[in-house]
Amino acid sequence: MKVERREIALGERTETIRQLLHRDSRRLGLISSINGSQLISLVLNPVEGAAVCWETPLQSKEYHSLAPVISQAHWFERTLWDMFGLEPENHPRLKHNLLHEAYSPHLLPLKLDQNLFVVGNGNGSGISTYTSTGTNGNGNGSGNVSENGHCRDYKPMVVKGDGIYEIPVGPIHAGIIEPAHFRFSCLGEVIFNLEIRLGYVHRGVEKRLCEMPWRKQRFLVEAAASDSAAAYALAHSIAIESLFDITVPPKAEYLRTLALEIERAAMHINDLGGLAGDIGYLAISSTMGRLRGIALSMAEKLTGSRLQRNFICPGGVVFDPSGKLSEIKKLAHQLRKDLQPVMTFFMSNEVARDRMENIGVISPRLAADFGIVGPAGRASDQRYDARQYFAHGVYPRIRVPVAVETGGDVLSRAKVRIAELDSSLFLIEQLIDGLPDGDSLLKLPDSLPKNESGLGIVEAHRGELIHMVFTDEEGKCSRYAIKDPSVNNWTGLAIAVRNNLVSDFPLCNKSFGLSYSGHDL
Amino acid sequence: MNGAELHLLRSCSHWVLFALSVVFVPPLCLGIIRKTKARLQNRIGPPLFQPLFDILKLCRKGETLSSTMSGTFRISTVVVFATMLVLAWMTPWLCFKPWSPNADLFLIVYLFALARVFTLLGALDSGSAFGAFGASREVTLGLLVEPALLLGLVALGIFCGSSDLRLVFAYSPLQSTGVSGAPGIWLLVGVSILLSSLVELSRMPVDDPTTHLELTMVHEAMVLEASGRNLALIEFAHALRMSILFGLSAQCFVHAAAAVWRMSPLTQGILNIAGIGLIAISVGVLESLSVKLQWRKVPEFVAYVVSMSLLAALVAAGSGVTKL
Repeated sequence: MKVERREIALGERTETIRQLLHRDSRRLGLISSINGSQLISLVLNPVEGAAVCWETPLQSKEYHSLAPVISQAHWFERTLWDMFGLEPENHPRLKHNLLHEAYSPHLLPLKLDQNLFVVGNGNGSGISTYTSTGTNGNGNGSGNVSENGHCRDYKPMVVKGDGIYEIPVGPIHAGIIEPAHFRFSCLGEVIFNLEIRLGYVHRGVEKRLCEMPWRKQRFLVEAAASDSAAAYALAHSIAIESLFDITVPPKAEYLRTLALEIERAAMHINDLGGLAGDIGYLAISSTMGRLRGIALSMAEKLTGSRLQRNFICPGGVVFDPSGKLSEIKKLAHQLRKDLQPVMTFFMSNEVARDRMENIGVISPRLAADFGIVGPAGRASDQRYDARQYFAHGVYPRIRVPVAVETGGDVLSRAKVRIAELDSSLFLIEQLIDGLPDGDSLLKLPDSLPKNESGLGIVEAHRGELIHMVFTDEEGKCSRYAIKDPSVNNWTGLAIAVRNNLVSDFPLCNKSFGLSYSGHDL
Repeated sequence: MNGAELHLLRSCSHWVLFALSVVFVPPLCLGIIRKTKARLQNRIGPPLFQPLFDILKLCRKGETLSSTMSGTFRISTVVVFATMLVLAWMTPWLCFKPWSPNADLFLIVYLFALARVFTLLGALDSGSAFGAFGASREVTLGLLVEPALLLGLVALGIFCGSSDLRLVFAYSPLQSTGVSGAPGIWLLVGVSILLSSLVELSRMPVDDPTTHLELTMVHEAMVLEASGRNLALIEFAHALRMSILFGLSAQCFVHAAAAVWRMSPLTQGILNIAGIGLIAISVGVLESLSVKLQWRKVPEFVAYVVSMSLLAALVAAGSGVTKL
């Protein structure tokens, strides 16, 4: 979709954005920078399905933090500090997010001109190698060197008091899951504070995307967070198509939506099965494992790949799987029928409900403040579903029911997933019935338009996913920004587990179903 | 062959049978539970003796010790294992038992407690946060469930007029007294021992033994730091504790049956072993179908078990009064 670019001075930025976000139902999309010499703040207007990208040119590396007035901004500003060396003033808890102690303090991966904003007669000429340490070059100011000379210090928040103790968990976990470090400050069995440290699987995806030909970007984008391959590919395709200002054929729209909904169904089944597994409900968890197989085989029939790689591409879809659609419809129908008794069995179990009710509650106010998206947001009474507002696939022309719960607890998140799972499977059948004829792939020009910006917003199974592309005067991709739904929701988890029992943490964690690699990129 | 020789042969065969049971029943018990759970999930599951193979495998492996550990960690494992062997010898969990020393029920309950204390010491000594909170959870569970096991055995003691479990589980007093309420008490105590053993052994619905989530563990959290032979000993001691408790419970059920039908010692022996297997299967079924309780709800569950034992004790005391 097209994005409007407007400029705003640094002094007015905080106030303007604060007022914008307080008006009707505007949302903060993302905060980032293109090359380190400006700030961009994407403000979404869901009602009109439009977006405005506010650009703030910078004169120095310091700027006023938005976090004190817009809580949601705190995470973006931490990433900005890591990637561009831009330092927010008055940030409540400024810490490194993605780049850990092992990285050189002078490494600012996405900053284009490494000498920009360097104070003094520094010869810190773009020291960006991973091996260079501290004293190499007078890089003071350009990097993240703290005053005592030690680089990239990280201090978790310490809770003090009688009987408070800390449990460090991870980054290597007992199960086969992704890495993150959780630090619990507990009093007995009750969690006082949880500090989440991510970044262990930071691979520099955003930088790499700018270094490769745009036609190959889609492969990297899909691999960046494999459990949302279809959503990532779709967001990427929409962003690229909006650069060219083209619309894809209706048939391609339908096929893309099919892929997106199959992915949502498969992942919701997986997440619900995980919830059952965490409360020790093995009967449900193993049944869900089997049923996820059916959803994955639908994906395989549609795209030739169980994780739907290499199907959605800029311009449409790679091939036309029309011949397989009747089989997919049959499977979707079967799956929907099979799921119903299992879900009833799951939700009618008193002990299971007892485990999930009033556990990991996140209030609607906090959910709004921190911009919690996806099923986790909708479980806390946030009526935001990108499928209702922003153009991707057949949306928002075809309306899907928004599943909203008000409890904000683990049970509500499970219920939202169950409702969405059902509506996704129903939608799959409907889409196959209504599939239009025609082409499914549009040929795109070889080079990207110059000085343009493109935006793709997709409701992935975890929530609102944003891809943003900027091109320079040569028509090369100069910045590719990705906002995974997990970027918003990790904070939600930290809030939700407060005052809950330590033994309920895995359950809360699973109910958010967050992505580590999607966040770290 | 005269009487003495026959007796010697009989006690020799008892020794052999007993030794085989101590080695093979505990891993088999675990194996049956795992197999049942696997079958109920449409999986083939590991072989029945996989737990034994695992223990043998662990014996060949090297050991990693945390630098914060003192000798307590190693000693505690050995003490726990030795206590379990003594308990296996003393407790009448099998009916084909060779000569054993005094099996006072209080001694037995507190030998279990001794093993728990040393497991706790080992966990605290490991220096990991998980060990510490696993230990704190284990203490909570232990405190709650101790009265259940004790009262259950006391009920039998009152009923049979002795605190020596050799006499209580001797099959004879029942057949001689033939009180009509007898099978009821045996059944009640059997069920209460079975349920309290689920808590004692940190199994569902109190703790999920198959979970990989450190933060939810009770028993597993305490032994996370153990490896190699140390872990093999811990695993075996835990399996042995399980079969002793299941065996006690199975013995209660066999006695309940023996109070109604007369049966030969051979049938009793077979029923005893089959009972342990059946209990293992039912525990597997229970674990597949039940949901792990919220930690705050665990005391409620334990309260049911304790009141069941209390009921048995009261009934036993009441029937004692009528006998007098």
